Amino acid sequence: MHDITVVDLSRWQFAITVLYHFLFVPLTLGLSFMLAAMETVYVTTGKQIYREIAQFWGKLFLINFALGVATGLTMEFEFGTNWSFYSSFVGDIFGAPLAIEGLMAFFLEATFVGMMVFGWDRLKRGQHLAVTYMVALGSNLSALWILIANSFMQNPQGATFNPATMRMELTSFTQLIFSHDAQAKFVHTSIAGYVTGAIFVAGISAWYMLKGRHIELARRSFRMAVLFGVLSTAGVITLGDALGFVGGQAQPSKLAAMEGLWKSEAAPMPFNLVAFPSQKEQVNHDQLQIPYALSLLVTHSMDGTVPGFDKLEQQAVVRIKNGIPAVEALQTLSSKPGDAAALAQFRRHEKDLGYGFLVQRYAEDVSKATDAQINTAARDIIPEVAPVFWSFRIMVAMGLAMLAFFVLAVIFSLRNDIERQRWFLKIAVWMIPVPFLACETGWLVAELGRQPWTVYGVLPTWMSASTHSVGYMIFSLVGFVGLYTVFIVVEMYLMLRAIRKGPDEPHGDDTDWDSDPMLNNSAKAGRLAGYAEG
Amino acid sequence: MKTFLLFVLFMLIAMLVILLAIVLGASGAWYFAWLVGTGMIVLITAAGGAMLDTQDEHANLTAEARTDAKRA
Repeated sequence: MHDITVVDLSRWQFAITVLYHFLFVPLTLGLSFMLAAMETVYVTTGKQIYREIAQFWGKLFLINFALGVATGLTMEFEFGTNWSFYSSFVGDIFGAPLAIEGLMAFFLEATFVGMMVFGWDRLKRGQHLAVTYMVALGSNLSALWILIANSFMQNPQGATFNPATMRMELTSFTQLIFSHDAQAKFVHTSIAGYVTGAIFVAGISAWYMLKGRHIELARRSFRMAVLFGVLSTAGVITLGDALGFVGGQAQPSKLAAMEGLWKSEAAPMPFNLVAFPSQKEQVNHDQLQIPYALSLLVTHSMDGTVPGFDKLEQQAVVRIKNGIPAVEALQTLSSKPGDAAALAQFRRHEKDLGYGFLVQRYAEDVSKATDAQINTAARDIIPEVAPVFWSFRIMVAMGLAMLAFFVLAVIFSLRNDIERQRWFLKIAVWMIPVPFLACETGWLVAELGRQPWTVYGVLPTWMSASTHSVGYMIFSLVGFVGLYTVFIVVEMYLMLRAIRKGPDEPHGDDTDWDSDPMLNNSAKAGRLAGYAEG
Repeated sequence: MKTFLLFVLFMLIAMLVILLAIVLGASGAWYFAWLVGTGMIVLITAAGGAMLDTQDEHANLTAEARTDAKRA
């Protein structure tokens, strides 16, 4: 029997390392395609400033990329060290995309990053542009495979349990890759990275404009960032809905947690805009509702309903009772592999094997599980509702705030008077952390909402961890937190230093802007206002 | 006020586009959409950068023309 403290510590360790890692990933995903757009303008117009713009943002991309790789490497090993039962149980499926991701990251992405950085004077313009596109494609395709692996955990497709080998085996690679969850999750995550890259570039460009430094670089970068951002934000919201729609069908308990849905209701269901869910009492306190909205949002119809936890718990009791004979059959098959009766029993109940495992936490001999133990196991299907509920709302609120920000930014930028909107430039700087927080809360919804499963409906979390000692887990947890904090500090230091230094060639500083023939009068007026203020 | 009205108009357009996409593609071919969408986003972004240069050039030419007219 697993020590639950070890399981919890393993979860904490993975959560902390992945949340640290995901501070770097979205910026890599987004900035890479922004670099491609900037360099496209350089290649098509031949204007030198766009080369310098691409080189400057490329330098920040490189800092972020290096630390992203460093923090990502350890996570792949964590599956083996801390989640050994999980790795052995679903390694056949999970390992394939993870291996392809490694190959993509190290051979495609890393090779082209090297060529992008060192190839400016060695490659022709078009060749270098192709390399930059390959970096962007490599970064995003590398994320694709990780997200396919994660989608298998959310909605297991293309695999079946083999009682002869006692583990899950891949039956359809196509189903694994093209599952609706994988598709929606990849695009949602990738485009969330675009939004992060756009806000990052817009925020730093705004800071330069506020300081009156590198104005020509900043104006162009800001224009491109806000266009990139407004389109991406519309995409990320659309895909967020698609992911909710697909995920809600595959993981009804996550959807119920996101909506604080304790009791099933008749259509059209209201949406809880604000509520304070109580896990103990299984009710929401002080809720503010929007009539009809939930049915529309999650079923895209006025007469659609989704089950609440009351119904899901009842279903879980039935499924646990059906899963117990499957676990019993497996126990027989492990000692007598050819037992035909046990195999037949397993086949009849294999659909609910995972639910049978749920009760094993409370009754090692599942054949003697009492009704009370079955009910306790059934209640386990309810994840921690309050953090899922609030993380989801924070993510959505940030997404809408970013859309409003980008729409206004596009108006100012297209009117070419962004430099005079100093209040807005200050907001742009303060917007930089927002997409990072939105990404982190998004992952909290995805992973906390999946509990109590590592693979939804198939493998409970309590079974998945390795059998380390509590002391070992605390020691390694402290070590990881310390190491990753150092990585964050190093990243912040290098980034801030590079930003303060600016591009290698100054553009539009107060020393040369007056003679710049490309600068219009409104830009000059805005800059003068900036100098007067600051 | 004009900026606010433009903001409201653009937000409504954005919301309409999102709503349309939601209605049309609850479980669509998202990989394909990503491929096409990313290409479009990158090209519009690049066009936006080039457009800024054109706007600057146009503004400078207009300012020069006004100065010439005053001198004449």
